[in-house]
This record gives sequence, structure tokens and C-alpha cells, in this order.
Amino acid sequence: MIASLHRILIIGRNTLTEAVRQKVLSVLLVFALIQICCSIFISQLATPDLDAAGLFTEQIKLVKDAGCGAIGLFGFFIALLSTALLIPQELDKRTIYTILAKPVRRAEFLLGKFLGVVLLLALCVALMSLAFAVTLYWQESIGLATVEASYGTAGDWQHNAHATEMHDNDVAHIISQVRDPQLVEAILLIFAKIIMTAAIALLISTFATSWIFTVITTFLIYLIGHGESLARIYWLAHGAETTIWQSGLIGLIALLIPDMNSFTIVDEILAGHQVPWHDVLNLLCYANVYVIVLLAVSVVVFDYREL
Amino acid sequence: MPTKIDLHRGGKPPKPVDSILGPGNKGGLGQIIFRRYFLENLIRQIPNSTAHPRWISAKNVIGERIDVVVDCFHVLYFPIGNRGTITKIKMMETSAMAAPPLAVETIGLTKRYPLTWKRKVLVALDHLDLQVRQGEVFGLLGPNGSGKSTTLKLLLGLIVPSEGEARVFGLPPDSLEARNRIGFLPENPYFYAFLNGDETLRFYGKLCGLSGTKLEKRIEELIDLVGLQNGRERPLRSYSKGMLQRIGLAQALIHDPDLLFLDEPTAGVDPLGSVQIRDLILRLKKMGKTVIFSSHLLEQVQEVADRVAIFSLGKKVLEGSLESLLTVHQSTQVLIPAEMTPGQQDKLRQFLAQDGVDEKEIRFTRPSLSLEQLYLRTVQNQPDAVPKDQPRP
Repeated sequence: MIASLHRILIIGRNTLTEAVRQKVLSVLLVFALIQICCSIFISQLATPDLDAAGLFTEQIKLVKDAGCGAIGLFGFFIALLSTALLIPQELDKRTIYTILAKPVRRAEFLLGKFLGVVLLLALCVALMSLAFAVTLYWQESIGLATVEASYGTAGDWQHNAHATEMHDNDVAHIISQVRDPQLVEAILLIFAKIIMTAAIALLISTFATSWIFTVITTFLIYLIGHGESLARIYWLAHGAETTIWQSGLIGLIALLIPDMNSFTIVDEILAGHQVPWHDVLNLLCYANVYVIVLLAVSVVVFDYREL
Repeated sequence: MPTKIDLHRGGKPPKPVDSILGPGNKGGLGQIIFRRYFLENLIRQIPNSTAHPRWISAKNVIGERIDVVVDCFHVLYFPIGNRGTITKIKMMETSAMAAPPLAVETIGLTKRYPLTWKRKVLVALDHLDLQVRQGEVFGLLGPNGSGKSTTLKLLLGLIVPSEGEARVFGLPPDSLEARNRIGFLPENPYFYAFLNGDETLRFYGKLCGLSGTKLEKRIEELIDLVGLQNGRERPLRSYSKGMLQRIGLAQALIHDPDLLFLDEPTAGVDPLGSVQIRDLILRLKKMGKTVIFSSHLLEQVQEVADRVAIFSLGKKVLEGSLESLLTVHQSTQVLIPAEMTPGQQDKLRQFLAQDGVDEKEIRFTRPSLSLEQLYLRTVQNQPDAVPKDQPRP
């Protein structure tokens, strides 16, 4: 058992090394970082009039939206491409034979490969989150500097209790917007969603004959996963008309395709609404169970594959 | 020591033999297929036997006697009655007589690939029976697509047979225990291009459960063995074909396996490199390793293999030791270390003719070097014939 885990770890680390040493993903990551940092300039464009502190809400939300959006989007692409290429590359170059000829089980190989992708995605999300944090901090200092400047021109406001309170309120408002602990929830949820995408791609790539098929199918499942809950709401609203077949079909789709739409609570967080940790943990558990099931099926399918 | 064994424990003995093929009870070589219960019963009588009933078949049918070796026991059956009954059985311990145990055994091994669109089936390997003993160097020959690589893949458990069975050291080929004892060099090996030589060996070593100083020592040894000092720090992306083949051999040997599968180890390697690989195979043989390899360079196969099998269209068409296959029994060559004058030739011809040899069939030729021998002599006489580790400018 320990030897087995050890082998999974070795293959995972090798996969990570491969991804890091290949330039393609680094380029993608650099673009993501640039995009996150650039959001600050876009936010400046959004509110050229900077006299009222309240407007920073708009700016900060823009930076948050852009940051989380970039992490989600680039994470999705990195997950999709790196997972879809995982098995075909090994088969094309026949490196898989050299590994499976060693005392390594197929399941260990597959799980090791997936572990490598998870490590890679964790690394990418961590780097992008760091860039996001830096950008937010930057936005915060711009905001605070503007506040200081606006009060500075108003004369000796520091002796005025009302003005001082207003100043402190403005500062606290900006800081609370920027240093929102809920952002951790948002990034965890985005990460879970990315891992789910990777697990779907892995399952498809265990029987797909080309990586393009894997990419397209995963993308479609991703889209269906977003529309699925809408369809369910529609059907439930017309509850009286559904037959057993219809509800069976909905149930089957719900079972086969993960409900990606539930992850839209990230938008709630970004909109500044309070989302309790309880809901976030629920969703993380859902993702976790889904990934484990997908991995189990992948292992079984891969075991029967002719290499 | 002959021991009598009782297979039937009273009652009328049931028919133990299923079919007799070939000469059978008339003598000579043949094949006898026993009933399963009979063999199971037989094995039960042999202390500590791990044999599987399917893995036993009669080795020889000589006259009325059939010899079977099960583990270290020599079982003699005789004689065969006219309806396939065996009347007497003798069993004795034969540690001295027993051949070395089998490294590889296949029975009726078959691989078919369905061609989905054509409603046809491609038979990549057709009922292969093969036995390779431990310590043998076995050559697989045959044109492209004749089933050599399929055989190796089946023996590695990379693909599942459509029919039949394969065993490696008596174990199923996809078991970790079996693969712990196997090293494999694939055809045109390609490894992770982003790793350098040392990292490659470290990766495969760790997969085999090696670690620490033991692994590092093993890497040093293997780099020396395959002569790849100049590739240790370079990524495999920049390797030449010969270097890839060498690193492939090194990774196949990393866990010191007892059995090696080499799929065209000399393909794409220059003549000097391929001679080095040949020498390496001979060195492995001396170390007691079993080597099964496929190659198109027949001259090299001839130099290293003990036995060969020739495949064609998925079937094994010929198998045997090189000596038995290649010796031409109807002629003799005499080598004399001097030029022979026409007068001497005539004398010899007359002498042999007197002895009854047809004069027209006697030919005098000069031995000639093969092009390979000439090439190697020329290259190896150069002062720096063997590629040395040179610092890059």
C-alpha cells in the first residue's frame, strides 16, 4: 500500500516536472498573470471620476471579477489541455510501455498522472492567486492614497470629529472590500471546479482515441453542466406535466454530468453577499465525491484498454 | 528412487488421456494431452509442487514410455494402452536430470485484433507455444508484423491474450512479482525528453523501489556499463539514436532483472554501437540472465543466440538451437592457412575421388571477411575508435 502510494507520488512528480519544463503551459500562465495585473488599469478606466470613496466599490469589484475570472478561465484551459494530452502523449511516444513494464499497476500510473495535473493546477492557481492578491493590494493603495489626498485638500479636518469619522469610515470601507476573507472561499471553489473539469477530461481520455475528442467532449459536458440546473428548474416548475421518463432522464443527466452551475455562488461572493462556510464546504464535498467516482471509473476503463 | 504412486485409489481406473497426437503409442515424438483431473491428482502426489495442471505436458513419447518433468520430479508413464489408458506410473526425484526451470512459457498464446470497419479479424499471433529456460539467450526473428513485438507485449502483460496463456517464472505476466524480475527495452525507445540521463535512470529506479545511495550507486554502474558518461547531464531531447538505445538498456537493467526483453536493441545503432550491445548481451548471459530479443541483423543473432524462433504472419514456423538449424550435414569445409596451388588442388581432388566423392562437387574457395568484420577492423584500429567522453568546445 505504501509502496503503491510512493509510486503514484513519483509518477505525479514526474508529470509536474514535465509540465513545468514544457514552455506551453508557462506561456499560458504568464498570460494569466498579465491579465490579472492589467485588470487594475481597466478598473481605472471604469471610474475616471475619483472624488468619492464609494466609487471604489465599483473598482474593487472589477478587479475581483477580473482576477477570479482569469483564475477560473486560465485554470480551466490549463486543466483541459494538460489532462487531455496526458494519456495520448504517453501512448504516442510509447513511454507508457517503459513504465508499465516496471512493477507499476495501471491504476497507479493513471492516478499518478492525475496527481501530477492536480499539483500543476494547484501551482498555477497559487501563482495566479498571488498575482491577484498583489493587484488587490495595489488597488487598495491607490484607493487609500486618493482618500488621503481628498481629505488633505480639505484643510485641518483632523480636528473635526465628523470629518475624522468619515475619513476612518472611508478607509475601513476600502480595506474591508479588499481584504475580504470570502475571497479564499471563492478561490477554493474555483479550484474545485477546475479539478472536476480535469477529472472529466481524464475519464474521457481513458477511452478516447484522440485528444481533440477529449477536449471537445469535456467542453460540452462542462456546458451541459452549467445548463443542467436551469433545465431542472424548468422541469420542476412544470412538475405536473413531467412523466416518469422525463424525470428519469433528468435524474440520469444529473447523475452523469456534474452540476457546474452550483459553483455560481462564486458570483455571490464577488457581489459582496455573505456566503456561509457551510455552503462552501458542502460544495467542496460534492466536488470531492464526484472526482473520486470519476477516478474510480477511469481506473476501471483504463484497465481494460488495449495499449 | 522410483516411487509408486496410486492415482486411482481403487475402483476402475478412468481414462486419463484425452488425446494422442503424432506418433503417440507407435513410438517417436508426439504429444499427449492428459485429462485435467488426472494431472491434478498427479501433482497432489508430488511434495511441495507449485505446478499448474495446464503447464504440464508430455515431453517425450519414446517407444511405450512417456517422460514428464514436473518440478524436480521425473514422471515416467508407460505403456499406453490402445484406448489411451496408462497402466503403470513411476515417479522419481530428478534434481540432476531436470533442466533449468523455465523463464518463459506460453501455451496456445493467441492475439486477435478485430478490424471494426471490415468485419474481419487480424490474427497478430496464432497459438504460440514457446518455452525459454533460465539462462538462455533466445532470438525472435521474422519480418515486420510477424508477431514478435506482440509476443513481447503479451509476455509483459501490456495486452491481454485472446486465447491461451503466458507465464513468466511461473507467474502471470501482469503481476508485480513477475515484472519485478523483467527488464524491457521497447522498439525505438523514447523516454521523457525533458529529463537528463541521470534523472531518467533515477525515475525508473524509484519506480522499482530503489532509493538513496543504493540507487545512485546503481546509476553509476549502469552509466559505466552502457558507456553513456557524456549523456548524464544532457536532456534526452538532444540524444542520438544510439544514445537513446543505451539509456533504454540502462533503464531496463536498473532493478537487476533476471529476464530481459529487448525489442530490436540494435535498430538504428551504428555497427560499432551494435557490437557493443551484442557484447553486453553476452555479458548478461554470463551473469546468468535470460535474454529474449528480436532483431533483423541476422548475423548478430547468430553470434549471441542459443536458440531462435522464426515467425511469419503471426505463426512460429521454426524453432531450435542455432547449431541444429544451421549445420549443413552433407558437406565439410577445410581451412588451410596457406594459398593452395592448382597442383595441390588436383592432388586433393584425385585423393578424394578415389574415396568415392563426386569430383564435380568438390570446390575450392578462399575465406572472405564479411563487410561488418572489415568495417569493425578498420574503425577499431583507429586510435580513438571508441567514442570517448570529450568536453564540448
